Amino acid sequence: MNEAPDFILFLGRFHPLVVHLPIGFLIFAFLLEILGRKKKFEATKAAIPLAIFLGFASSVVACVLGYMLSLSGDYNNDALDTHFWFGLATTALTLLAWLIRVEIIKLPNKNKVRVNISTITLVVILLGATGHYGGNLTHGGDYLTKYAPFNKKEKRVLATIDKVDDAIVFDYLAQPILENKCASCHNESKKKGGLSFQDSISIVKGGKSGATLIAGNALESEMIKRVLLNPDHEDFMPPEGKTPLTTEEIDILTYWINQADANFSSKVSTVETSEDIKQIASKMLGFKGTHKKGQTDLPTVNKVSEEALRTIKAEGFVLKELVFDSGLYEAVLPENSITENNASALDIKLEKLSKIKNNIIWLYLENNQLKDKHLKQISQFENVQKLVIDRNNITDTGLYALRDHKSLNSLNVYNTSITKASLKTFSSMKNLQKVYAWHTTINNNDLNEHKPEDGPEIILGN
Amino acid sequence: MCDHHDELKSNNKDFQSIEKQLDRRHFLKKTSLGLGALALGSLLNTEKAWSSIGTPSHTDAILENYNKNRLGLPHHLPKAKRIIYLFQSGGPSQMDLFDYKPKLVDMFGQDLPKSVIGKTRLTGMSGSQSTLPVAPSIFNFKQYGESRAWVSDLMPYTAEVVDELCFMKGMQTDQINHTPAINFFQTGHQLPGRPSVGSWLSYGLGSDNENLPTFITLISKNAKGQPLNASLWGNGFLPTEHQGVQFRSGKDPVLYLNNPDNYDGTDRKKMLDYLGKLNSLQHDAYGDPEIQARMAQYEMAYKMQTSVPEVTDISDEPDHIFEMYGKDSRNPGTYAANCLMGRKLLEKGVKFVQLFHQGWDQHIGCPDGLRNQCKKTDQGTAALIKDLKQRGMLDDTLVVWGGEFGRTVYSQGQLTDTNYGRDHHPKAFTMWMAGAGVKPGFQYGETDDFSYNVIKDPLHVHDFHATLLHLFGIDHERLTFKHQGRRYRLTDVHGHVVKDLLT
Repeated sequence: MNEAPDFILFLGRFHPLVVHLPIGFLIFAFLLEILGRKKKFEATKAAIPLAIFLGFASSVVACVLGYMLSLSGDYNNDALDTHFWFGLATTALTLLAWLIRVEIIKLPNKNKVRVNISTITLVVILLGATGHYGGNLTHGGDYLTKYAPFNKKEKRVLATIDKVDDAIVFDYLAQPILENKCASCHNESKKKGGLSFQDSISIVKGGKSGATLIAGNALESEMIKRVLLNPDHEDFMPPEGKTPLTTEEIDILTYWINQADANFSSKVSTVETSEDIKQIASKMLGFKGTHKKGQTDLPTVNKVSEEALRTIKAEGFVLKELVFDSGLYEAVLPENSITENNASALDIKLEKLSKIKNNIIWLYLENNQLKDKHLKQISQFENVQKLVIDRNNITDTGLYALRDHKSLNSLNVYNTSITKASLKTFSSMKNLQKVYAWHTTINNNDLNEHKPEDGPEIILGN
Repeated sequence: MCDHHDELKSNNKDFQSIEKQLDRRHFLKKTSLGLGALALGSLLNTEKAWSSIGTPSHTDAILENYNKNRLGLPHHLPKAKRIIYLFQSGGPSQMDLFDYKPKLVDMFGQDLPKSVIGKTRLTGMSGSQSTLPVAPSIFNFKQYGESRAWVSDLMPYTAEVVDELCFMKGMQTDQINHTPAINFFQTGHQLPGRPSVGSWLSYGLGSDNENLPTFITLISKNAKGQPLNASLWGNGFLPTEHQGVQFRSGKDPVLYLNNPDNYDGTDRKKMLDYLGKLNSLQHDAYGDPEIQARMAQYEMAYKMQTSVPEVTDISDEPDHIFEMYGKDSRNPGTYAANCLMGRKLLEKGVKFVQLFHQGWDQHIGCPDGLRNQCKKTDQGTAALIKDLKQRGMLDDTLVVWGGEFGRTVYSQGQLTDTNYGRDHHPKAFTMWMAGAGVKPGFQYGETDDFSYNVIKDPLHVHDFHATLLHLFGIDHERLTFKHQGRRYRLTDVHGHVVKDLLT
């Protein structure tokens, strides 16, 4: 199986095109044979010998081209042999069928019609078999039945796990990527470039060009090198027309080769795993809530109507959509919009804003006569991640309303009347990362006294 | 008025496309009425003028939606809401400030090895010197903070805040002389005429406070050096209202805000109303967006009569704040005072504040020059970081410190035990960022023992721009503007977001 001259391979690649000619001609001949039995269509019988002959001629061409293609060595030998012999048999039988049809060979049987029909039927059956084996060569043996209703999904069933740490790096993370993006060409029956990703043995064995896998050195491993090439490069994998790997997928494969040392049984917990990889992995495995503290995913919310936006803006709020077309907003009430003269206006404004409370991610209400009672209202804004309410007259009692807030990760309460009593409230907010508490009575001593294990960072200033 | 213009249509394709997308007549009618109504409202009651923040007229809403849909911004959740860029113009010497190179001491006065220079282009100012003697920094370095970052004795205040800073030590630029290099940093191109970073942000993200410009520039009065010009904060080919507005460095940052003597301003409403009508007619006839820009500027100027005096009044700042920024901060127009003013502008919702401090061009007398520069800037810079932090603003404010290039390790002119000069060096220099979305107490990039070549993680100006836009929720490849037949972006055809810098 050495390299055939390029020109031969070039011609060989026309095989998949040309094979469809005999298929068409011969099936056409078969149909005519059946139709011709009816009186009405008897005349069509005249075309049968020509159709069979054209089928034969194109079969010969297809065989020659097919042989040329087989010289590339990209195909599994056993499967190739089957296809090869079936192809030759079909061609030979087609010749025979033609000879019978034009009566160069005269069979002793008196009932000629039956002879013709049975040979052409046999031809079509052989043709189907040849085509099937050819298809298996190109697409892989399980291509046809993979999604069939009777197929029991031969996939190895992986044990259910409930956290990322328990996942076996290869089985749960790397293998599904290879399966999805690579295995259609690199499997036991197709083996493009001599490479198969069917199982660990064939992966380690690698392909024809370079070391497919070098444990601990992803950048030198051919399987990573190829996917990182410029997509226009001729060695880029997967080839044009197939879906390229995403950066996350490349990260995972790299992680398997480098951190897990290309080991097939290491678990995530035993391997040095960065936060980023953990994130990707938990996404792949469909886990939620494994993200870093403070990095809340963005909620999915309904869009807000223009009308609703307009009424809220009319109350003096500046609303900015934080991600285009996401329905997620930053809401700012400019400082001093509320003064002692119009203090009651805040209730109404917040009420109006609360119509879109789930859409608000960042909320700024600095220096606006905010009181304890308003915090209760604000605690209903479940998706708020950043709450900026400094320079308002709020106390520990008011802040207590926020104790169960689950999304908040940054809270600015500088220059308010809160005291160290609020430190507990901060700690009870599960996602809270940073609290700005400059110009409150909270001091460094308080922080030293009350040092919860997993509490937020409290910034006091100078 | 001049009705004979009514049927005139633009024959410029770009204008025609704008005409199609906006019902102009409707728009203009609303603009003139909107302006009038606003003017009336604010004359009757200043409080009302303020409360109009966030209640954009119907016109604004149409425009806003139009822009929003066209640009599709932000592309992702931003980390930064605003930025203050402390531009150190002239090219600060990285190896005298942050890029500690202890091995140089043993090489004092030796010719810089050819292997280090490689094929570097030298300037005409020192390229013809018979020797290029290695000049180690005469300043002591120490490590500070939990991040153990090296800082020289020149910057004692900055040393206190290193745990907030993200040092970029492998900065690289393509430009070796001031004007092209500073243009490159400000606009992504070495020739003047492209939009500046601040203009792109204003164009892409709009304003957070309709009463103040989105992009404001402040220049230290207590420094001299390579000239600065308006193209550095210019809008280039973007609509004119996105250009940076320079505040004067002195007692009155904006002149003529007060009504002249013996004029009470009561008929200004009438004047602006009529002017709006005239401009509308003109715009109706020619469809020139510059007319809209002019109308927007008039409106802005009018609003600034109220908003600027309030924001620039630093009299209500407590003493301890002035002490933190240093005694210069009581002297308007100095770097320290500009830092303080910068904070106030950011607090009021200005998106982009850019300070320029000239005089970092130490070709001769480098040690003395640097002492002087650092004395004027170090305390203000550090105070700004601390002040933003204690107010919780560092959470969503990006702070950038840096010049247009670095300086050479070899001495330009004579090298003595106490004196040396340094020439321009674009191949390696240090900058830092802090705040919104960048890793605090972090260092990215590394130079060789001579601070001459970047040996790890180079960071090009285009990459810096791409990363900056990324922090604002912008994909730098998708914020474009069509001009002269092609779409331009800040990073042109370059730039990669440096994810390693991001939290």
